[in-house]
Amino acid sequence: MAETWNTDTGEAIYRTRDAIKNMKIKVRIERLTSAASLSQHLQQQVLSQQPDKKKKKKGDVELEPLAALGQKGDNEEELVVGWQEKLFSQFEYELFQNEHICQSHLERQYHSEIKALIKGKGRRNIRIFTYTDHDRYTNMLPYSQLQYAEDSLTTSGSTPTFLAERMANVRHRRQERHTIDMGVPKSKMINWEPTDDFIRNSHVINNAMQTMHIMGDLGPPGRLGEKSNECLLLTIKTDGSGTVVVKPDFNKGKEPYRIVTEGEKKEVWSLRVEDVSEAMKTEDKDKEHHMYRDLYVRHKDYLNSLVGQDFEMPPPGTLRYVMNGEIVSAKGFEYDNLYIHFFMELPNNWSSLPFHPLSGVTQTCRTKAVGKDDVAFFSFPFNFEAFYMSERESEEGVPQWPALYFKVLSLDFWQRYRTEGYGYLLFPAVPGKHTVKCHTWRPLQTGTVSALRRFFIGGSPELEEPSYVRIPGTFKGQRLSRFGFSTESSGSVTFNLHCIQQAHAFVDAIMLKKRRQKVVDQLGGFSQQGAVCNILEAFQRARRKMQEARESLPHDLINATSKLQIESTA
Amino acid sequence: MAELHIIGQIVGASGFPQNSLFCKWGVHAGGAWRLLSGLKEGQTQVDNPQIGETAYWSHPIDLHYATKGLQGWPKIHLQVWHQDSFGRCQLHGYGYCHVPSSPGHHRVNCVTWRPLGTWQEQLAHTFVGGGPQLRSPDTIYSGADRYRLHTEAMGTVELELGIIMSRFDKFGVES
Repeated sequence: MAETWNTDTGEAIYRTRDAIKNMKIKVRIERLTSAASLSQHLQQQVLSQQPDKKKKKKGDVELEPLAALGQKGDNEEELVVGWQEKLFSQFEYELFQNEHICQSHLERQYHSEIKALIKGKGRRNIRIFTYTDHDRYTNMLPYSQLQYAEDSLTTSGSTPTFLAERMANVRHRRQERHTIDMGVPKSKMINWEPTDDFIRNSHVINNAMQTMHIMGDLGPPGRLGEKSNECLLLTIKTDGSGTVVVKPDFNKGKEPYRIVTEGEKKEVWSLRVEDVSEAMKTEDKDKEHHMYRDLYVRHKDYLNSLVGQDFEMPPPGTLRYVMNGEIVSAKGFEYDNLYIHFFMELPNNWSSLPFHPLSGVTQTCRTKAVGKDDVAFFSFPFNFEAFYMSERESEEGVPQWPALYFKVLSLDFWQRYRTEGYGYLLFPAVPGKHTVKCHTWRPLQTGTVSALRRFFIGGSPELEEPSYVRIPGTFKGQRLSRFGFSTESSGSVTFNLHCIQQAHAFVDAIMLKKRRQKVVDQLGGFSQQGAVCNILEAFQRARRKMQEARESLPHDLINATSKLQIESTA
Repeated sequence: MAELHIIGQIVGASGFPQNSLFCKWGVHAGGAWRLLSGLKEGQTQVDNPQIGETAYWSHPIDLHYATKGLQGWPKIHLQVWHQDSFGRCQLHGYGYCHVPSSPGHHRVNCVTWRPLGTWQEQLAHTFVGGGPQLRSPDTIYSGADRYRLHTEAMGTVELELGIIMSRFDKFGVES
């Protein structure tokens, strides 16, 4: 009797795309009594000695198995059950034979089925029966089980929690699936007086599962049909979308489950469950697979046709630099009502589209206090596009990137106009999102007169050439000296920059899966294709020269040299 | 053609003088862009926060664009309005920002401003409400006419956007 039991009686979740009505499950229950186990043991002994049939020892006792052959059905039963197949228990069999008991349509249907069975071969099941989705017991079972749940917690006497009660009481009615997205009726969005029914259905996750319980009548033989001996063997639940929950899981060749009956006589039964649904044939599977693949390919083609194939590329050998940016805010300036005037500067080798604005002015914004500073919000988007072409690749490694110069000015109600600060911003070399905070300064004229002028009537010194902020355009020497130029620090301006770079060379690099490390490589090595052609041309020229030289030499010398070459390589 | 997915939400707004706010939003892209699926404009619900200052909307944005070129990258425009207890709506700010162009998860804080009128209008605004609005918000995208406006800074709208870019690298775009 030292069999090991499978104690893992949790539920298992399976997913399938096929119709649930194809499912078939084989259930086998077997009572384990001491007599049965002893007879099994002896039988095994006899069987092991059977090869020696010729040498029959005298001392052998040929035992009949103690269990009578005719009572096989009382101690074990094996049955194949389909989905929602109604098999009657002895109790139901006797109950529904009376026509007076039947109240609902379902019960009358059962009555007619039972009459047909009586006329026919009789039930094919004895102990195992099922409760389908339509029976009223199906809904009561989870709740009654919950009340007697002993295995969830060690402390007995714990009542089920509020949520557990709600989940068990959930009606298994299929609810309408509300169309998501724009199908919500606008007039009925809020339910001001929810009824109890509504609360029960919508406060708890209700998956609308179809349930089926396979039960076993585990009473002593001859006394079948008592409700107290019914025991739940297996529960199968499915929702409409292919999830099948089986509790407990199929044995799959492992040890059987153990069921101990209640009552005065505690008996032990073993339960084995197997899935014997027919598998799909391979041809059908292949056909289905091909069909799905065709469908997906067609959908992809449709999407592609919507999208199209072309994309605007810059001319080969150039880098296109697209900057989508916005001036976000300015803070820390002296006066109110700020606006920003900005423009881009392109160094050598850079060009931009004609008729494309390279400068802009924001609106005038009154500041507000955020913490200790006064902030002005501009939220001013700007776009910029530039092209870079380098004729000679052998120039200095780092190219010059364009810059954005800006000046912050204030203009107040009395039409007083003051410069608040100058600053600049270099376009980032790496594409992506950058948040840049630029600090500014303003030129200062020493002396009280200019300070008074600035305060009372406005007007302050301005830079003649804004590019002085960085490196003046007219600067040609080696060292830039700003000696004698006095400024005063001013506030800061925040920019959000989104940079995109595009070039033909990037396509090639990605195809070759090369990593670009140097900035020059990042620019693509534009004349790469040109360089390859140059090399090929140079090679052809050298080859031609060599051939001409060969012809001019006398023949025997050439033979000697060629022989030498062969020997050296051998 | 390359495709761009914008999947995210308008989280909420903060920093406005009053709290009971709603937002009208829209996404605007250039001529080379085509919207394959998703709604490109909408209006959130009115949120009245009981605790704290931020009004939360959690309004979903789910857009799928296909494009033939890099020009006209999509921009989001927002209008934040305040609804008071009498049901009157009052403008509290305009905001504009670009959709990020690098793939990944971005938190975008879009600042807003409100146009100001003359001082008489401002006085009336504090008592009665109302206040100037832009006649057509679309013309502000180009930025050319903005210098005529006199505005004041208002609050910030927070957005969370996830950007997925497809097939841009086949055309040599680095972002």
